[in-house]
Amino acid sequence: MTRALGWLATLGLIGGLVMGFGVAPREVTQGNVQRIMYLHVPTAWVAYLAFGIVFFASIGYLWTRSDAADRLARASAEAGVIFTGVTITAGSIWGKPTWGTWWTWDARLTSAAIMFVMYLGYLLLRGIIEEPEQAARYSAVLGIVAALDVPLVHFSVYWWRTLHQPPTVMKPGPVNMPPAILAALLVNVVAFTLLYTYFVVKRVNTLRREHEVLA
Amino acid sequence: MADNWQFVAAAYGLAAAVLGGYWRRLVRLDRKLAAAQVRRRNRPADKIQ
Repeated sequence: MTRALGWLATLGLIGGLVMGFGVAPREVTQGNVQRIMYLHVPTAWVAYLAFGIVFFASIGYLWTRSDAADRLARASAEAGVIFTGVTITAGSIWGKPTWGTWWTWDARLTSAAIMFVMYLGYLLLRGIIEEPEQAARYSAVLGIVAALDVPLVHFSVYWWRTLHQPPTVMKPGPVNMPPAILAALLVNVVAFTLLYTYFVVKRVNTLRREHEVLA
Repeated sequence: MADNWQFVAAAYGLAAAVLGGYWRRLVRLDRKLAAAQVRRRNRPADKIQ
């Protein structure tokens, strides 16, 4: 099942590249550099999803003390950190030619950086506590608290004056985007979601095996 | 506006390196644990105790 998911994610990513570079037209104002959007936006969406899963799995762990919930939270946090790192890096690279700077302490960028650091802290916390039950309990609490930053990141563009543009798709009302660009974006969202799912399933399996080997 | 293809290549290249690196880490870890499980299964019963 994991292997099939991996192949599905690979096919999705190839499809995403074809859509992003072959089907979607060159954007009129920004030129071809706008194609970074097909990487930046889907990875940001996947990061939100990953930390949402950490939140619910952490609640699940504190409620049931189930090892499966703890493993899911840990695997999802790891993947979330990876995807947030990619989002921030791709955004920074996109920012240089369009905004004229690699980085600015804008509300969206700052809250995303805080989110990245918080979940990096989550993973470090897991690493430094030796007793597994204690590590699971403390990180579950942190997984719930850190999730408060996720809506802050998303709504920061409405709540503060920012350089970052507001969402075009994940907002109420009609989507104002050419169909080919929207289609390319959605294919990439599906592809990166599949890749995230593959990473999480594979990581959950290795965590279970680790537990069996050490038992 | 100029196309700035070098920025596009940098963004996609870095993403491929990071995501590919994580995938390789997972595959290696999986193989290592599978080997450890086999070793554990093959251990003589008297040594397990």
